[in-house]
Amino acid sequence: MGLQRGVAIIGAGMTRFHHKIHADKTGRDLFVEAALEAMASVDNGIELRDIEALFIGNFSSDSFEHQGHVAALMADWLGLTPRAATRIEAACGSSGAALNIGVMAIASGLYDVVMVGGVEKMRTLTTEEVTDVLAMASDEVYEAAVGFTFPGLYAAMATAHFHRYGSTWEQLCAVSIKNHHNGSLNPKAQFQEEVIDIARRLGERRGMTFKDEMEFLRSPLNPVVAYPLRLFDCCPISDGAAAVIMASEEVARRFTDTPIYVRGIGQASDTMALHDREDLTSIRATRLAAQQAYRMAGLGPEDIDVADVHDCFTIAEVVATEDLGFFPKGEGGKAAEEGRTSLEGDKPINPDGGLKAKGHPVGATGAAMAYEMFKQLRGEADKRQVRDAEVGLIHNVGASGATVVVQIYGR
Amino acid sequence: MFTVKDYRDALAEGYLLASKCRRCGAVQLPPRPICPRCGSGDLESLKAPKRGRVAAYTVIHVPPSRFKGEEPYAVAIVELLEGVRVSGRMLDVSEADLRVGLEVEADVIKLGEEPLLCFRPLKRP
Ligand SMILES: [Zn+2]
Repeated sequence: MGLQRGVAIIGAGMTRFHHKIHADKTGRDLFVEAALEAMASVDNGIELRDIEALFIGNFSSDSFEHQGHVAALMADWLGLTPRAATRIEAACGSSGAALNIGVMAIASGLYDVVMVGGVEKMRTLTTEEVTDVLAMASDEVYEAAVGFTFPGLYAAMATAHFHRYGSTWEQLCAVSIKNHHNGSLNPKAQFQEEVIDIARRLGERRGMTFKDEMEFLRSPLNPVVAYPLRLFDCCPISDGAAAVIMASEEVARRFTDTPIYVRGIGQASDTMALHDREDLTSIRATRLAAQQAYRMAGLGPEDIDVADVHDCFTIAEVVATEDLGFFPKGEGGKAAEEGRTSLEGDKPINPDGGLKAKGHPVGATGAAMAYEMFKQLRGEADKRQVRDAEVGLIHNVGASGATVVVQIYGR
Repeated sequence: MFTVKDYRDALAEGYLLASKCRRCGAVQLPPRPICPRCGSGDLESLKAPKRGRVAAYTVIHVPPSRFKGEEPYAVAIVELLEGVRVSGRMLDVSEADLRVGLEVEADVIKLGEEPLLCFRPLKRP
């Protein structure tokens, strides 16, 4: 099945993702900032009254800010009332799921222009409290109750992947080093610093010197979070928001000469508990969502010039690049180690720094991926621009893979 | 129809309650109300075996608040029958000895009032 009519992104905006600088802002402040930037990015201008509906991805403002019903709140604060406003929750895949619903809302013919956004204000809580909230996205009864954390689930996938394919923690480090490099080129990223520069800075403070990144990553300055994953294998806790404006093919060119078309969408679910999955080294929902999106687009993995994949943990990027068909199963780690996923590689992955360096305000991540593809495919990504990027893909995952959304875009 | 309480009650009595589909034979642990393979609601109860092998594992160094102070502790996904796995706490094993393929045996300990599924390395006579 295809879309009943074409859909394009005509504008995109996001706040910088960060763990500190937004301390004095609430979720609504962050969302309005991202939404206004998205509106300002529309080449020929857009008015609030042009936006007919709002879809907001948000995981847990209830726990983080003691605030529910956030879609109406965002519509209110942006001045969008009385337009329809709906919140979509799918853990870390919330705004990815919202993007799909935005596409469907336009493709159905109901609306011509909608805004899809995501927001999460997480730094209201301590790391321990955030760990508790994120664990709610796993199976409370059968996983969290025996002691699994969110990093723990991906760590378990890593041990299974290492065992079956002989992949290594050193390969995971290559993902982290590459994403920090890309983040250093992205003014919106939480961490804009190479791993080697972080090593130098932290080492100086403690009178330690490191001859290279690996020596630093093996040191106590990179503590184990959930074996085999260490701090630099994990995305940070972040505050931030992102928004994109979508329009029907018929009206898109009224707003811009360079719309970015949605070529394919896909979404799948899987068992909530990791232990119930048919394969612990692969995320089936990624494979199924990608199949749907590739088929709708009439494209295959070989046609993708640039992709943002859900690297909440380094192992997640390795598994995603395999499940999306970029590399054979078991060879994602090797591909990262060989530099094939770098900005200059044959399959650039996470040019924005990924969740690892750009940051991961969970409900905002899918929309921020769409923002990045909007910039990349329009040639507006400055220092992190992937050369000649014409087809882009985003891959947004809820928790350990019980929800996956894939979208493919083209010029 | 199996509920979460059925599994917990069985755990408190020291065994692992699974469901087996009377139509297609698929086994689910913990038990489910509907067979995910064929959609049948005609299920019978089955005691899952207690011996299995570690399929994946981790050692948690940053714990959630409810297990604060217990870190580092190990958690494993254990395969008890082909394709039938469950998550549990690993006890009596060092980080160095923990590996995929390790033979383990299930046990149930009390964590406050709640029964906690755990696994220990199988002792060979
Ligand atoms: Zn059945």
